Amino acid sequence: MLTRPSTATWLLLAPGLGLLLAFVVTPVLLTAWISLNEWSMYTPLSGMTYVGLKNYLSLFGDRVFNAALRNTLAYAGLCLVLILPLSFLLGQFLYRGLARGRAALRSVLFVPYMIPTIAVAIIWSYLYSPLYGPLNQVLGAFGLPRQAWLGSVDTALVSLVIFNVWQTIGYYTVLVIAGLTQIPDVYYEAALIDGANALQRTRYVTLPLMRRTLLFVVVIALINTVQVFEPVYVLTQGGPANATNVLSFQVYRTAFEFGQAGRASAMAFVLFLVLVAAVGAVMRLLRGSPEGGP
Amino acid sequence: MTKLVPRPFRWLLAALVSACSGGALAQQLTYLTHWPPETVALLEEAIDRYEAENPGVTIQVRAVPFGNLLSTLRSQAASASGPTIAGIYELWLPELVANGVAAPIPDELAADVTDGWPAGLVGSVSVGDTIYGYPNEVNLYALNYNRRLFEEAGLPGPPTTWDELEEYAAKLTVKQGNVTVRQGFGIITNWDSGVVHPWLSLVYSNGGALIRDGQAVLDEPAALEAARLYERLIAAGSTDPSMATANASTTGPYLQHFANGETAMIIMANWWQSALRDSMGDAFEDIATAPIPVGPNGDGPHPVSYAWLTIVNANASAEAQAAAWDFLAWLNGPESGQGGSSAMGDILMSMGILPSRNSDVAAHQDELSTPFLEGYISQLGNAIPFPTLIGGAEATVAVQQALEAMEVGHLTAEQAMEQADREVQSILDR
Repeated sequence: MLTRPSTATWLLLAPGLGLLLAFVVTPVLLTAWISLNEWSMYTPLSGMTYVGLKNYLSLFGDRVFNAALRNTLAYAGLCLVLILPLSFLLGQFLYRGLARGRAALRSVLFVPYMIPTIAVAIIWSYLYSPLYGPLNQVLGAFGLPRQAWLGSVDTALVSLVIFNVWQTIGYYTVLVIAGLTQIPDVYYEAALIDGANALQRTRYVTLPLMRRTLLFVVVIALINTVQVFEPVYVLTQGGPANATNVLSFQVYRTAFEFGQAGRASAMAFVLFLVLVAAVGAVMRLLRGSPEGGP
Repeated sequence: MTKLVPRPFRWLLAALVSACSGGALAQQLTYLTHWPPETVALLEEAIDRYEAENPGVTIQVRAVPFGNLLSTLRSQAASASGPTIAGIYELWLPELVANGVAAPIPDELAADVTDGWPAGLVGSVSVGDTIYGYPNEVNLYALNYNRRLFEEAGLPGPPTTWDELEEYAAKLTVKQGNVTVRQGFGIITNWDSGVVHPWLSLVYSNGGALIRDGQAVLDEPAALEAARLYERLIAAGSTDPSMATANASTTGPYLQHFANGETAMIIMANWWQSALRDSMGDAFEDIATAPIPVGPNGDGPHPVSYAWLTIVNANASAEAQAAAWDFLAWLNGPESGQGGSSAMGDILMSMGILPSRNSDVAAHQDELSTPFLEGYISQLGNAIPFPTLIGGAEATVAVQQALEAMEVGHLTAEQAMEQADREVQSILDR
């Protein structure tokens, strides 16, 4: 039976709720309010001009915004398609397949995630260098043609996807390993007695019991990739020809370069809605973990 | 006394003195700039001298990368504790004035600006008839070419017309199969000004414009022909857009390709001299500059030019503004530098950037007479300023995106110009 929270309960909750209110709820509400105004950011908030839904309506026919939205979805989709199976396979390999050096390899995989993205992006700008970059030298060693990587509309977005997968795969692999540790060995022993091979054990034991973990991986990867900013800012500035212009970069550019903070806030809110819709869809799709699942 | 205190602590000391005296004794100013550390060190040396002569004034330099300069201004300028002084790109001035961020220069200093600088530059730091700051660096565009590659190809000298540009670019291009080993003429992508200014220099040199009488005119033949010129160069393989990438620091692969001799010609501004020299070492001697090749309808080379200026934050206190103007008058005055130059002139020359004060140009005449800079100096009189207007940055990006889309084959020259013209006009109509 639920009882009314006591004064002591509220006192204990107050610091946490206060911080949440100050640093999460207030900025979200402020962004919502700014999105209904025109504001150059050079004046105090009191100097804004109320324009209602004008900023939102203007986004519908905006060629650049639509391209940025498409690029964001393509980037997030490509990252997910690579991250989910890769992290699962690497997690399986590190947890069950590797007898020695497991901890060391896990650490090595995790290191790129700990380095600030800006620093890693600068290093990758050299790796992707069209003429002397190591990646093209490797291709050349195998007799393959060199690639323009970030310099071509055909490969720029994919290059950013490769960069993101390389940097974050260690983190998602650790999540998968954490999920694998929660599966009791008795299930595998029972499956073995029933004559299941390795593929069948993965299909009928591991995957169903990993559903919640994989759902978490998808949701976190989705949130992280939809908000991609640093690699775009450092490596491509949204180019060439808008090929890597993503929503968060367009929000930044609209607010800070064009001085249209209201319009940028409207974009940010659309980004927020896209994220909520995508996460909702994924959770609906993958929800329904069997009993006893981790 | 200030000399005895390390610079990082000087600011703290000044704040303490100011707090104890209710702000009456000390003025703490901040100077926002995008200059690199070695140039900031020169500015701080000048500040040390000024502070020694003006006890009670403390100036702290805040340096941010070029890409963060405008965002820093936007996020901080509205506050009284924001930067007191800021070096800005002239394109940003109309918006800063419209939002009450840039303070008009005091009347007693206005005459110093009108008397000391060319009229065109006084215009670039003015909105209406009001002057809002001190002009400092001037940048304009010229054709940069590698003399060694020209000699190897048996070419007589830099191209002076578009026909010669296409012909020479083709002769200078080297391919291995489908791979471009060397492109005859380089362009820039992923950086708005780097895309638009060189191309617009070709438009200007073909008798065209970006905006005329408040109307976008990119649908006129002069602009369309310049777009078609790019199209032909790319179709011929003389220009490879995949070698054109710039990074957030406005350098990157496009610069490296030129520095390594993999790009024979490129249109760029004079500011890149120091970056180019750093990348090329002794091979920098191979680089020469020439006027922009003239189009079929042009009356001569007309490079785009743009200026930077130093402004004072109108949101700062009246006392801080007065102290800031006093410092800027000293920094830009002929007494603060070496041999009749201003300290600002000396600082700009250290980066290979053209100073703009008449007395600075005279004081640095010998240093300005290098083969690299002469190509720029000779064109100062022909240069046409990039139009400054509210929404200028957005208009530049609109043209950039249309050009880049054409360069990668997503749009034809006609479609690109139609799109750019429409989008620039919609920005002007707001």
